[in-house]
Parts: sequence; structure tokens; C-alpha cells
Amino acid sequence: MAVPYKIWLSILVFIPILAMLFISFSNLSSSVSVGELTLSLAHFKLLWESSTVIAFRNSLIFAVATTLISFVLGYFIAYEIKLSKFKNKFILLTFVILPMWSNLILRTESLANIMSENNILKNILGFNLFGNISGTWMAVLFGLVFTYMPFMILSVYTALEKIDFALEEAALDLGLRPIKKFWKVVFPLSFKGVVTGAIMVFLPTLAGFAIPKILSRGRIVFIGNIIEQKFIYTNYNHGALLAVVILFFILGSILLITKFDKEGETLL
Amino acid sequence: MENQKATLKDYGYRDFTTLNKIYKILKKIFVVAIVLGLYISIIVIAIQSINESRNLSIFTRVSFQWYANILQEEELMQAIRNTFLVSAIATVLATFLGTFFAIGLYALSKKVRVLWMLLNNVPILNADIVTGFSLMLMFRLLMVVFPNIFGLFTLVMAHLFFTIPYVILSVMPKLKETDPNLMDAAMDLGVRPYKALIKVVIPAIKAGIFSGMLLALTMSIDDFAISYFTTGAGFDNLSIWIYAVIGRRNLTPSVYAFSTLLTIFTLVGLLTYQFLQKQKKGKKNEKNNFSDIAS
Repeated sequence: MAVPYKIWLSILVFIPILAMLFISFSNLSSSVSVGELTLSLAHFKLLWESSTVIAFRNSLIFAVATTLISFVLGYFIAYEIKLSKFKNKFILLTFVILPMWSNLILRTESLANIMSENNILKNILGFNLFGNISGTWMAVLFGLVFTYMPFMILSVYTALEKIDFALEEAALDLGLRPIKKFWKVVFPLSFKGVVTGAIMVFLPTLAGFAIPKILSRGRIVFIGNIIEQKFIYTNYNHGALLAVVILFFILGSILLITKFDKEGETLL
Repeated sequence: MENQKATLKDYGYRDFTTLNKIYKILKKIFVVAIVLGLYISIIVIAIQSINESRNLSIFTRVSFQWYANILQEEELMQAIRNTFLVSAIATVLATFLGTFFAIGLYALSKKVRVLWMLLNNVPILNADIVTGFSLMLMFRLLMVVFPNIFGLFTLVMAHLFFTIPYVILSVMPKLKETDPNLMDAAMDLGVRPYKALIKVVIPAIKAGIFSGMLLALTMSIDDFAISYFTTGAGFDNLSIWIYAVIGRRNLTPSVYAFSTLLTIFTLVGLLTYQFLQKQKKGKKNEKNNFSDIAS
């Protein structure tokens, strides 16, 4: 019964990617007839344009910063959930992921609203909770971190939960202080979860376009925003080329994940 | 001197009690701040939904008019209908196909299976924008044969593409837990292979199928980027519609009302699910059932 899925996956994984590669190397577009079709590297000029370079730089910097911050905060929360005396961990985790069930765009938009100068929270509380950071890098970073952190919390928690408590007891019996026990025993054992979480935060941030667009009010351009522009103006060749570049980052991450996790089970 | 207890220092340990106290307080503040960060947007959406004023920056009076108004908002209702239509079709198909694909993949030798599971991860790990863009290109190529392909059909196909892997991922571990002899036993007892599958294997993995279905539904209903690229003009799901509207003018507060309702339903649903799960399993399996449903 695996055959249909093999066909399905092959069609939907390889053909779109091949189409993307082909289009980024050729002058194929709706106005070009089959006879005039040529292959060229002409589109690659785009990669050295300053707007593209800046967009890549923005995407990378924000993705790295978001990953690091969500790692610190997310690990902390995951560890607190593990330590908490509350028996039913499922309920706690439900509350961590509950925000992810409501519409991402709407959440981002309401964040953008309360980050602006006059907002409903100011009206109710009497002061401005976020200051006036609408449109700045801080707004974007805040939105990204708190949108994607649940992924980090979940995968770190999954890894933490698997750690045998006997190991921690042994570490304490052998005279380690709790802080040292954490660094020498717990953290290394949960590292797999950190890698998975980091990738699950890094990739959507790197390739995102809606959150930076809404929260920076269009001022900070990510590579995704350029792809979106190319899509709107039906410049598929350029869009495909940029998407291919992102794809390379993703392939790297998939290789990394398989190094730590053979059948992708930590993804769940 | 006479009655004083020996301190930790006298035993040669350093005294961390005060530091620990400070750490504990700081920890609580941190937890509250982070949870607030996670929830601030949901809270604002909820406030917005009960605000009588249409103005997003002024709270006038508590009112539930926007809840009653959801049904009157034609554009919003259309977007909601589209979202549910696509998600329902995609979830049902993905659950059905994903389960059978997983059983098929499980029958392969381990080496081959690992390879296909790797490929199975591609749609999950691939950035939405790349998936969306590349699928869009492929559908455009198909347009030569089927000119009106963009819309419901392409959306459902795209959603199937990224939801089936989740179903497979959640069914696979359950398959591994089942006794490989079950199927043989059933067939020895004279049941036909196809029937043995339905009567023996499926019931054994139904928890995995159910969680896979929930995952598929979650992913499908909230998807923005892939849908954005693969839909046709005029067929907007909720995310696309909101994204388009916020660029032009203020949203109707009914959107906030709808979103709040959805959040409440989700919460109630999850807690009920958990409650039922607990009643069924007793207490033995408490630890592991979050992974059934969380993504």
C-alpha cells in the first residue's frame, strides 16, 4: 500500500521543486512561447541586488535572534512545566499551545494594534504596555518570539519528559548541586529536543512574511516579503529563484535533524 | 551561644537559602511575563470582541452585539465557510489516506522506510512559502490542461500535501507498538487480509489515527501561507481574507468575536478530550497523552 504514497510524495515533492529550479534558470513566462525558451543564469543577478541582500540579512538576523530568545525562554518554561507539582501536565501544555489554535494573522494584527500609540490597552490600563514600538524591529522580534516559542516549549518538554528520573537522583546522590546536575545531566539529555525546537522556530521565522509585514508596517523586509511581491507581480522566475535559496537552508536543517533523530519522531 | 543551631556554613556548605528565595520569586515573575506574552494577543482579541465601539483604540462599553453580528457579515461568513469546507475535505481525506499510507510504509523494510519517512518530513519541514510557491507553479503548469483549476481543488490538494505527513507521523508510532503477529493471527483464523486490516490493525492504531486527524485539522484550519499562494481569485479562507482586509481598512469586530468563540470551543474541546481520555485509560498513562495531540 506504500506505492500510492510513494507516487504522491514523488509528484508533490519533486515536480514542484524541479519546476521551481527550471523556472529560476529559464526565461519561461506566460509571454514566452516554447520556441524562445532558453536557459540562462540571468535571474541570478537578483541575488546580488542590495534589496535582496538586505532582505536575506534581515531574515537571517531575525531568525537567529528569535531562535535564541525562544530557546532561553522556551526551555525555561518547559523546565518549569516538568518541575511543576501540578499533576496533569497535559493541561499545562494545552495552555501553552492554545494560542496557536487561533488565527495567526488575526493575532499578529491585534499585536500590531496594541503596539501603536493609541490602543485599547492604553485606553483601559491608562498606560502604554509596549511603549510605542509599532513598526520597529522590537515589535517584529516580539511577535516572532511569542508566535513560535510554543514549538520550542513542546519539543524541549517532550525531551525532558523522557529523561529517567533515576539519572537525576543518581547525580544528586553523587554530590552534584542542582545547578550542576542541570548542566551536566539534564541539559545534555534534552539537547535533541532543543535542536528540533530550534529548527521548528528557525525555519518559519526565516521564511515568514506575514508577521514582519504586519508588525513592522512594511518597514522591515524579509526575504519572504520579496517572494510575495514577486508573486503578486507574477514575476515567477525571480520568486522561484529566491524560494530555491530558502529551500537550501531547509535541506541543511533536515540533514541536521536526521543526524539527531532517525525517523523524525521528535517532530511530534 | 548555648542554644544556637549549627548553620550550613559550619558543616562546610555554602548557604544558598536567600539566593534560592530570590531565584524563586524571579522565576514566578518570569513565568507570568512569558505567559502574558503568549496570551496578550488572545486577550486583546477577546477585549476587542466585547467592545461596543468599532474603534479599535477606545473601549466604550461591554456589548455582545458583534457575536450576534457574525452571521450578518457576508464576506466574513463566506471566508469561514470556505475555511471549514477546505479543512473538512482535507482532514477527512488526509486521515483516510494517511492511515493507509502509514500501514503501507510500515510494511516496508526498515532501511527503505527510514528513507521514505525522511521524504515524508519534507512537507512538514519545508517552509510554507516554498511549499506554497512551488505548488502554485505546478498547478500553473496544469492550467494548460485544466484552465479553471485554481480555487477549491488546488487548496484541497495543497492542504492534503501538508496534512497527510502529520497523519502518518502520528499513526506510525502506534503501528510500531502493535504486535506484528496480530495480522498473521487474524489471517490464520481465516479472515481475509483486507478484512483483517479493518478489524484488527485499524482498531489497534485508532488513537494514532484520531490524533493524526486532530493535527491535520489544526494545521489545515489555521494555514495561511500555503493557502495564500495556491488559492484562486475569490476563494479566500479566513487567514487570507483577514490578511487582505487589514491592508485596506479596519476589520469588522465580528472577526474578533468569531476568533474568541473558536478559542473557547477549542479549549473546551481539548479539556473534554483529556477528561474522556483519562476516564478511559485510568491513571496509568497520564504522562504520555499530550504527545497524542500536540504538534
